[in-house]
Amino acid sequence: MAAHLSYGRVNLNILREAARKELREFLDKCAGSKAIVWDEYLTGPFGLIAQYSLLKEHEVEKMFTLKPGRLPAADVKNIIFFVRPKLELMDIIADNVASEDKLRTPRDFHVLFVPRRSLLCEQRLKEKGVLGSLINVDEYILDLIPYDGDLLSMESESAFRECYLENDQTSLYHTAKGLMTLQALYGTIPQIFGKGECARHVANMMLRMKREFAGCQTQILPVFDTLLLLDRNVDLLTPLATQLTYEGLIDEIYSINNGYVKLPPEKFAQKKQGEGEKDLPTEPKKLQLNSAEELYAEIRDKNFNAVGAALSKKAKIISAAFEERHNAKTVGEIKQFVSQLPHMQAARTSLANHTSVAELIKDITTSDAFFDNLTVEQEFMTGVDTDKANTYIEDCIARKDPLIKILRLVCMQSVCNNGLKQKVLDFYKREILQTYGFQHILTLNNLEKAGLLKLQTATRNNYPTIRKTLKLWMEDANEQVASHQFYVLQKAEYVPVCRPTSTGQQGENRITLVFFLGGVTYAEIAALRFLSQMEDGGTEYVIATTKLINGTSFIKSLMERLEVPP
Amino acid sequence: FYVRASYQEGRLDTRMSCLQNAMDEYNKAKNEFNAKATEEEMRLLRFQRRLEEEKGERMVGCSLQDTLHCLLIVGLHKQAEQLYKDFRVPDKRYWWLKLNALAEKEDWEEMEKF
Repeated sequence: MAAHLSYGRVNLNILREAARKELREFLDKCAGSKAIVWDEYLTGPFGLIAQYSLLKEHEVEKMFTLKPGRLPAADVKNIIFFVRPKLELMDIIADNVASEDKLRTPRDFHVLFVPRRSLLCEQRLKEKGVLGSLINVDEYILDLIPYDGDLLSMESESAFRECYLENDQTSLYHTAKGLMTLQALYGTIPQIFGKGECARHVANMMLRMKREFAGCQTQILPVFDTLLLLDRNVDLLTPLATQLTYEGLIDEIYSINNGYVKLPPEKFAQKKQGEGEKDLPTEPKKLQLNSAEELYAEIRDKNFNAVGAALSKKAKIISAAFEERHNAKTVGEIKQFVSQLPHMQAARTSLANHTSVAELIKDITTSDAFFDNLTVEQEFMTGVDTDKANTYIEDCIARKDPLIKILRLVCMQSVCNNGLKQKVLDFYKREILQTYGFQHILTLNNLEKAGLLKLQTATRNNYPTIRKTLKLWMEDANEQVASHQFYVLQKAEYVPVCRPTSTGQQGENRITLVFFLGGVTYAEIAALRFLSQMEDGGTEYVIATTKLINGTSFIKSLMERLEVPP
Repeated sequence: FYVRASYQEGRLDTRMSCLQNAMDEYNKAKNEFNAKATEEEMRLLRFQRRLEEEKGERMVGCSLQDTLHCLLIVGLHKQAEQLYKDFRVPDKRYWWLKLNALAEKEDWEEMEKF
């Protein structure tokens, strides 16, 4: 299952193995049968580290999700809570433990904090009077989780919010720690570049940690040549725009979680021919997406318009390969053909799957609503009428379209116009409050604080100038070749940031680790992969981030949820 | 933050005083837009309460748009009209809303009228 991690230039499987080892050690510390109580948010990321089978080997017999009240009955010796260090979760644990203590046979309770223990939480447990009944309070350091051969994520959803809104640097600390762990395994990264305030913080923290560990330097030949730290708020525009790569669109429409996507089942049901008319599956189809699947690796970063062509080409290749059998004459040839069969069949299934997915997406991308939305986005980016209130946005508000969509567009206009005029900004805000309710005033405040919405202060808008000088926009970019217009934007941004200096390595490609503080989109990943593949680039990129995001989840993380009292 | 507190208050009068506080704070911070928005929200809440007492329609806490929608659905056109003028709702949005509401109700007669 983890094969896809070791494909890339950097074998990220080492990181995964290290994480697994630590988990095993912890599990073995608690002797006897165990039940794990999960903080629900953690199950996804953990699935990428260890499957149930591994846990089972270590006598984990039951698994529950963390809920207030009593624990479900389980005949086990140990109960282990896997939780994030959040105060509200501590209350639930206390509740669980207390109700359990009154009842059955005594058992051992353990708490495992992911990714780090917190004094505040332990204090809370103490106040609740349960710290004494806990045998073990430990931490399981899981910062960077390998997602793919060239992708690491911390999956901390609120990192951007914490850094830019709440001025909370905890996630930066985790980042620095995670990078230290990475360096312990892959050698110290000789060069660090950064852009933005948070990037500087992380770099400073890393330096400090390095000094603390000065004694025990590892002598591993560094795998990464350069580390590039980037603040999300350096480029707020890209995450707001709709992603147009295949993987990006899957994420925009169905949202990819921990490498899996859930799709409506209808399209997949008809595919099973020869099995008779089975009743339609009602469960959503769950599909794992990573570069272990040859076909997916090929098309994921392509512009969606190019995916159809790629799929039909692949279909031809596969059917041609099946035709081969007619030409097989000798026993040897037949043997060879048969040995290839499993591979070919897998390829055929994967083709069928992705054709269905592509059909699903096409239904949406060809709809008028999608097209209108895209047109407006492109108008903003090319600087058409960004000064005035946009009629499309007005209409959307009147129709009461999802608020996130509105916010995304308004923010985009603001970013493209380097802020909105007072009149326009107030108009939008009024419209939103009147339509969606006064409670959203806090969300609007947050967006302003994060710089996504702002008042135009300078008399002139400098975005068009930047756009022209850096050639961010390619008017007639050949979509079939260019995966996304934004790869240009990415590149333009990096040029001032990474000044390549000659290193001792000759002949071989340099490897740069790019860390996005506050999230990265699939389209941006695609752009970097595209750069990796360019022959004259000479650099390969490994991407790390605090969270994989898209415009929707990005805005959502900044929203303030207020329930209207009954 | 008073706004947040106002949403935790179940009772309307305490909620109002929270909002009043919020408004004062906004004024102090010279955040004119937010102060005005808060004031409007208070006006809306008062209007909704009055309506609830008079007509027995539950709509306290709804957004302006939803309130208008509600009013049109139950046929309180005069009140809707008044609200629309009071809060200076842009014409375009109001027509959209009115058409939608009337269509939903299948009140074609009323629709003919305008």
